[in-house]
Amino acid sequence: MTSEISFTFNGEEFRCVPGQSIAAALIAADERELRRTRFGNEPRSIFCGIGICYDCVVVVDGVANQRSCLIEAKQGMKVESAP
Amino acid sequence: MIIVIGAGPAGLAAAEAASRNGSDVALIDSAPRKGGQYWRHQTSVKGYRSDRADRLFAKVENASITHLSEATVWSIEKDGQLFRVNYLQGGQESSLTAEKLILATGAYDRSLPFPGWDKPGSMTPGAAQALLKGHGVLAGKKIVVAGTGPFLLPVATGLAESGADIVGLYDANSPFRWLLSPHALLLNPSKFVELIYYAKLLKKFHISPKFKRVVSSFSDGSVTISCVDSRFGILAKRDKVHQVDVVAVGWGFMPDLSLGGIAGCAQRVDTDGTAVFSIDGSQRSSVENVWIAGEATGIGGADLSLIEGEIAGLSAAGQKVSMVLRFNRMRKQIFANALKRSYPIRDGWQSWSEETTTICRCEEVKMSEIRESVTELGAEDSRTAKLFTRAGMGLCQGRICSRNVSEIVAGLTHCAVSDGERIASSNRPIASPISLGILGDGKK
Repeated sequence: MTSEISFTFNGEEFRCVPGQSIAAALIAADERELRRTRFGNEPRSIFCGIGICYDCVVVVDGVANQRSCLIEAKQGMKVESAP
Repeated sequence: MIIVIGAGPAGLAAAEAASRNGSDVALIDSAPRKGGQYWRHQTSVKGYRSDRADRLFAKVENASITHLSEATVWSIEKDGQLFRVNYLQGGQESSLTAEKLILATGAYDRSLPFPGWDKPGSMTPGAAQALLKGHGVLAGKKIVVAGTGPFLLPVATGLAESGADIVGLYDANSPFRWLLSPHALLLNPSKFVELIYYAKLLKKFHISPKFKRVVSSFSDGSVTISCVDSRFGILAKRDKVHQVDVVAVGWGFMPDLSLGGIAGCAQRVDTDGTAVFSIDGSQRSSVENVWIAGEATGIGGADLSLIEGEIAGLSAAGQKVSMVLRFNRMRKQIFANALKRSYPIRDGWQSWSEETTTICRCEEVKMSEIRESVTELGAEDSRTAKLFTRAGMGLCQGRICSRNVSEIVAGLTHCAVSDGERIASSNRPIASPISLGILGDGKK
């Protein structure tokens, strides 16, 4: 059995197994809202799941517009919804 | 050297066939693991093991194929007689050159807008499938699967097998449309076996598929199902409402044409209005030394992709393509054509949106804005409507909404979408967003 890793999303700690994407780990923890939209402040989550739609983009360790459905969660990663 | 872009069924088959015939092969894919969208299995997930995939994986492992994973190709340039493939890997920009290219860039779910399709919990069947197969995560406990096409079956049964409660499975088309294509089924008897397999699974999980029904709205965990006529227009007062965590709606697939478009490969419009690449009998594109295989040449499923990949790999390695392979490809193409005939997408979908429904998810453009661009601002084609509203100009570069906007504007202006527009709206100068910093100095 592989050991769990932990990362933070908007300051809160989440745990998942290595190899899971950020979005998958958050959805497994029932954290569905990944960001709010720029104009309408509407909640958004994973949509296409394969890196096409860019709806699930988050800030990963300070780098903006990262697709959380593609990027694997890593130990100590700091994930945030775009401000 | 041959560079194969895409490690799904078509790309793997192409790489293996070319390597087996003595070519030096590099395989580039954006995912961490081989298999593409179709074979992205985490081996622990029940029902997703495939002997055929495992055999092909093993062959590719054993062959001396260079596999670059997590590498996103963002452009292709011609450098004399060579192709230079530029890619991003771990935040670094690199490139690889070769005399020949095989593109196997696959497809993604087609989406149609409806009120609430942009809310968390609404996703494509492909997303629910990717979460489960790729990451071992159930998208939700109570799920409605809807849209049209045979892909809904493995998604619904796969989710059920992993413990989800499939509260409804709805196809907008009638299964009787298959009566239009008896020859396609007779030529592909294995499809009967598949159908029986899924029928058994549906029975086992007490899922009873309903037809001529669509998801007409989704809000606060409440999904409304409406009956539709054969043009997809919603019929009055026959709604059903379910409480769900997730609504997974998909309308077949859209080929990813980005890279072939950049390489200059000619495209055509398929009978169902989808832009695809033009190829010859050996999977050669219009550009010398570029072959294309799989969904990007027309949606046909994994069986067809495997054969097309093999043909492309053989042809690129300078080998003859046997009549048996060509016949098998034709058989699968006849089935693919039957799929288009059995699961058409009718224009009635344009009436599902309310004025406040989001059409372009990236730029948050509402139906009312698209309408006003035509009625108030005088846009006469979708290009103008897109310029007025910014629809299709966000991060996804119109991959999700561009075709829908074209069809909505065509509906409003009582025109048909021209082939030129269908092809133009599938083409983009770069294949994925890249920061100027990375472009400038090769690193973040």
